[in-house]
Amino acid sequence: MREPTAADPVSTAATCCYHCGEALPPAFLCVTLDGAERAMCCSGCAGAAAWIRDAGLDDYYRLRQRDGSRVAAETADFSAWDRDDIQAQHTRDIGAGREVTVLVEGMHCAACAWLIDRALHREPGVLEVQANAVTGRVIVCWDTAKTRLSVVLTRLSALGYTPHLAPDEALERARRHERNTLLIRLGVAGLGTLQAMMFAEALYLDFDNQMPVATRDFFRWITFAVSTPVVFYSGWPFLAGMAREWRQHRFGMDTLVATSVLLAYFASLIETVRGGPHVWFDAAVMFVLLLLSARVIERLARQRANAGVDALARARPALAWRVAAHGEREQVPLASLQVGDTIIVAAGEALAADGELLDAPAQFDESLLSGEPLPRLHASGDTVFAGSVCRGAPAKVRVQRTGQDTRLSHLVRLVEQAQAQRPRLARLADAVAGRFVIALFGAAAITALVWWWLAPERAFEVTLAVLVVSCPCALSLAIPAALSAAQGALARLGVLSVNADALETLARADTVVFDKTGTLTCGQPAIDAVQCFAAIDQHTALAIAGALERDAGHPLAQAFRNASPGSAQQVQVHAGAGVSGCVDDVTYRLGRADFSHGGSDDGAIWLARDQQPLARFTVRDTTRPDAVQAIARLQQLRLRCELLSGDAEPAVSALAMALRITHARARQSPEHKLAHLRALQAQGHVVAMVGDGINDAPVLAGADVSLAMGGGAALAQRSADLILTGDSLRRVPEAIVLARRTRRIVRQNLAWALGYNALALPLAALGWVTPWLAALGMAASSLLVTLNALRLTSAPLPCTTESQ
Amino acid sequence: MSILAILIPISLVLLGVAVAAFIWAVRRGQFDDLETPAIDILADDSTPRNASESQRDTHAD
Repeated sequence: MREPTAADPVSTAATCCYHCGEALPPAFLCVTLDGAERAMCCSGCAGAAAWIRDAGLDDYYRLRQRDGSRVAAETADFSAWDRDDIQAQHTRDIGAGREVTVLVEGMHCAACAWLIDRALHREPGVLEVQANAVTGRVIVCWDTAKTRLSVVLTRLSALGYTPHLAPDEALERARRHERNTLLIRLGVAGLGTLQAMMFAEALYLDFDNQMPVATRDFFRWITFAVSTPVVFYSGWPFLAGMAREWRQHRFGMDTLVATSVLLAYFASLIETVRGGPHVWFDAAVMFVLLLLSARVIERLARQRANAGVDALARARPALAWRVAAHGEREQVPLASLQVGDTIIVAAGEALAADGELLDAPAQFDESLLSGEPLPRLHASGDTVFAGSVCRGAPAKVRVQRTGQDTRLSHLVRLVEQAQAQRPRLARLADAVAGRFVIALFGAAAITALVWWWLAPERAFEVTLAVLVVSCPCALSLAIPAALSAAQGALARLGVLSVNADALETLARADTVVFDKTGTLTCGQPAIDAVQCFAAIDQHTALAIAGALERDAGHPLAQAFRNASPGSAQQVQVHAGAGVSGCVDDVTYRLGRADFSHGGSDDGAIWLARDQQPLARFTVRDTTRPDAVQAIARLQQLRLRCELLSGDAEPAVSALAMALRITHARARQSPEHKLAHLRALQAQGHVVAMVGDGINDAPVLAGADVSLAMGGGAALAQRSADLILTGDSLRRVPEAIVLARRTRRIVRQNLAWALGYNALALPLAALGWVTPWLAALGMAASSLLVTLNALRLTSAPLPCTTESQ
Repeated sequence: MSILAILIPISLVLLGVAVAAFIWAVRRGQFDDLETPAIDILADDSTPRNASESQRDTHAD
């Protein structure tokens, strides 16, 4: 690594840090990678890059799909993680050492996971590392005799990945166990079905009944042996579901599936024992395999969407600094924090509990709670909330509410309640399926009675044919097959579906409600207008402001990022007011009007010298580049677009004007938004809500169907039905088009399945269908339905041709 | 047809082996992350891993 050089011939061309992609400061560092000088923004990034190169891991830079996270120059202190009380709570003894699961911030792609895996393996004493970029978790096993956890974690954070303690170790393990069990069930179903089909094939190929009875029975018993684990082990989720539904006195989809499988299985067993003409083991196992795969695909997609956001939403600091009676500080676990304690929260750390701010005013970033992107200044005595991040200087807080009583926990519960009230569509599907099963059993019973009276010797065969031919395989496959095909297509669009019902509701939506900040706009401030007053041009004013803001590390600094700044000296931050400093030996003040030159605050940022205003900057959130297109497309799909925002009237109506949204409401609190939503729903509208902040979370949960922006708050994503990965709004109309196509396919499938059953049932009841033909018909019907559903994945996803 | 008496038990044994292998793989976490291993083979890893790792390699993996 070389000393800082501002005029390096190679890297002056670069404007961004090679490691983290952030804009370069005037004085940057250089690291030689792959024989080329690469510019680095800070000593943290430079250190990480040099370490990666020296460790021979610089393939990372070729493999990664996006820039890394900025590495903090000063190393964080993880010594608290070595404490016995923390280790007892969060780690597990594995014999040779201990195991811990940490949530890692900044692990974006597989290359990150690869780098973490390799880098940690080089630490002496590390036994095993499993980094999973999909779930954002790293599992580390280390030898307690050779190294300490804090050493390993310091290495992790020196690479730019910030570790957090997983909130619940046992829950983590339970979740992994559940996923693995489901995979094993699927594997057993796949392998078992393969074998059962092979043996069944031998029986099917015996067209003229030439096979000796002994061989035939041998084959049947073997098929039985192979099918049994598939039906009872792999099919257990369906059997358990049936038992649950019976305890609740209702007939649902699980009852339908389990009954069909058990009927086919036990009828085959009876036929095997009494040497009847046909068995249907293959039908039973195939049914289990198909439905289980649909279920696993859906579960994995949901887990993928949930895993990261779910945990981060609950991730709070595990430790807090408590000030003891005599003024000394001690670090205590969160659980032992009491109401009335005084805690100190360092700059950049999240607050552990709700409380009252003591002493000096402080700035808190409440974006997790309110969705407001800029930090708010709180005066002494204000209430500050758990989950908000302290900015600027450390703050002292007297604890008022902890754990489950905090506002964050309250919001989480609000979301959960709203979610619990909603499975309307699922209930409807269950009710239809339940009635169908009852009707089916009725028809079979009547058939059996009539045939018993007419021709007792054929009664069993005909009843079985009725049950098999009308086995509602196609019916129960119709919806899951189409939905899982649509999930795949959605994922390719860049939309993650968290709720299985979401697509069906999305197809019916006639109103789309947008939040403003972070949804229709980027959520990051940018300079809107510059007014110059004295002998200074716009460019110079921006450069001076940029220099002051850069070194101040102020949140508004982002707005001045592109201003090609010079450097400033003696920069002082005046919390909540502005910054002052020297540029080219002249002292400037930048900030609110009352701070910079003694004027009255008008919301703009002023640059002043010696109490003389030089320039006035208005800062504004920029509209997303594709918002106009997306709204136009939605209106073309005959959807009513509305804008609800917590912002002031002028900003909201200006945006509504620009995007041609006719219905816009300003100054809406989450309660207002929810009330407006309920009013719309009461008028019979089906409302889709698009939002990003935690303040939107209750509204998202209350909407008929909701979409959260991928860059938004974790809790918002947790309460949404669909998550847009990446930040393109164009995906909203695309998802709606896909939802409508899915609805059409589901309707076709249902029409076919019901039509087939309606036709086949009377034929079978009349005794014109042999059980053999019935099984074939059932399989063909299921196949047809599945192939129809697959059209959703193979067809192109046009944004222009489809509309309904 | 007596060949069936040998072939079918063999196929059943193979089935058992396949199921056991699959269960082992799932329990070992082979299916936890389906993306990182794809990148693994693209990168040269000439530097040896640390001692505890290579020791473990001989018996565990």
